[in-house]
This record gives sequence, structure tokens and C-alpha cells, in this order.
Amino acid sequence: MLAAVLSQYPCLPPAHQPLSRNGQGPDTLADQRLLDEALADQRRDNQRQLTRLLADTTRFRQSDKGWRLSLAPGDAEWVLQILNDIRVGSWAKLGSPDDLDELRGDQPNPDVGLMETAGYFQMRLLAGLRTPPDHPKR
Amino acid sequence: MGMMGTDWRTLSCKSCSSFPVLHVSALAGKPGRLDKAGRILYLNDMPEIATPEMLPGTIREAEENPRSALEPGYLVICWNDPVNFMDYVTHVFQQVFHWPLQKARHHMLQVHQQGKSVLVRESLEKAEYYVHSLQKYTLHATMERDE
Repeated sequence: MLAAVLSQYPCLPPAHQPLSRNGQGPDTLADQRLLDEALADQRRDNQRQLTRLLADTTRFRQSDKGWRLSLAPGDAEWVLQILNDIRVGSWAKLGSPDDLDELRGDQPNPDVGLMETAGYFQMRLLAGLRTPPDHPKR
Repeated sequence: MGMMGTDWRTLSCKSCSSFPVLHVSALAGKPGRLDKAGRILYLNDMPEIATPEMLPGTIREAEENPRSALEPGYLVICWNDPVNFMDYVTHVFQQVFHWPLQKARHHMLQVHQQGKSVLVRESLEKAEYYVHSLQKYTLHATMERDE
């Protein structure tokens, strides 16, 4: 399921956010362009890393409790970025509602499912980062 | 601006109107000429040009922060939204600013409860760098000029 969620990246449209709300700065347009380019570069890097991760079958191991994903110490940050992109991107597709409870209706919605599932994996990854390596739960 | 260590006195002289003179002690042993009556005339010499007193702290401050008074600062602001998790926001603040958990959590709660938090005040370039970093994590962050 994690691989299926991750493969939805990128979900958020480019130039989603402005650099400044008030448009202040010596060269606002150029600065915004720089930001958009930096985010586009980051998106390309993350996609490359994701492709490598999903192709590496040794990273995913099945155990009696389910599947286990092994991440190198530096991988956690870009995986978190990808998951949050999927979560926020799904929320944006749903019209960026202020109240998320409005989305939990009777009719199943794939974007709602994607948003919630990405969020679930985010919280699991954050909990894993907070757990020390020699914790008995590991 | 007055001279240091001097004492202006007015001396009245019978043959001339009063005029300000330096106190004798500041003349460094240079008495005036005797007038015809044998009285000492204190010469209205050119006073030494006083150098203004400089407070050391003022100069030091200007040297240490030569740019802060001239360049405007930019505020990096994180705005609240309903989709980013509080734990995630705290984690991102720790990663981007290298803050301890307590400080990161404090700013996260400001975002959550007050709608926004001013994270740092920096130069234009540094503020752009921080906004780039925060937006890479898909946080709702912008930079605004500090008025």
C-alpha cells in the first residue's frame, strides 16, 4: 500500500504557494521564479530517489506482522516530503477545505483515501524517527 | 560643545569691557602681558579646539552591525492550515532551523493557536533560503518585509 501511495507523487501542482503574501521585496517576480525553480529541482530529485527506492526490492521485507520498509538515515526526510506533498496535494484537489471532517462523508472518495493514507504513513515514519534504534519495539 | 577641564570666567577690567577668558590654570603657565598700569591682562587667546567626547559603545555597535541599520529585515512566517500535522510541523522546524524540540513546539503552537508564527528575522537572502526549505516540506510559509 505504501508503494501505491508513493507512486502518486507528485500530487501538488507546481507554483502552489507564493514566496510572499504581500509581494514585497526588491525583485518579487524574479524571486518567485527562483523559488519555483528550486521546488521543481527538488521534485525531480525526489522522483529520482523514489524510483530507486521502489525498484530496490531488498528495502521491502515481508514479516509475520506485515511488510517492513528499511530506510537509510538520509532517506527519511525526502520520504516525509513526498508523503506530505501527496497529503497536501490531495487536500488541494478536494478544494482545500478548512474543515477536514466535511470530507469524511458516506461516499468513498479516492482523494480523501489518499490524503488520509499518506498522513498515516507520515505519522508512522515520524514515530519511527523518534524511537531510539535499540528500542525493544523495533 | 564645551572644553574639557576648563572654567570660563568673566574678568572685568577697568580699561576694557568684560570678556570671557580662560581660567589661569588652563593657560599652562602663560600669564598675560602687563598693561601700562601693571595689571595683568589675560589674553583672549584662541581656545584649544575641543575634540568631542566619543562614547565607546556607540562606535563598537556600529562596527559590529554595520548592515542591520541600513538593510531592511525580512520575517519568515509560517501560516496555519488544516492539513499539516502538528508533529510534522514541529519536526520540520527542527530540521530547517536546528531548533531544540521545545522551541520548535512553541512556534508550532503559535501557528496552530494564533494562525501564524514569525519564525526568524533575517536578511533577504537568508529569508528566501528558509522559505525555500520550508516550502520543500510543503509548509505554508512566506517571507514579509519587516516594517
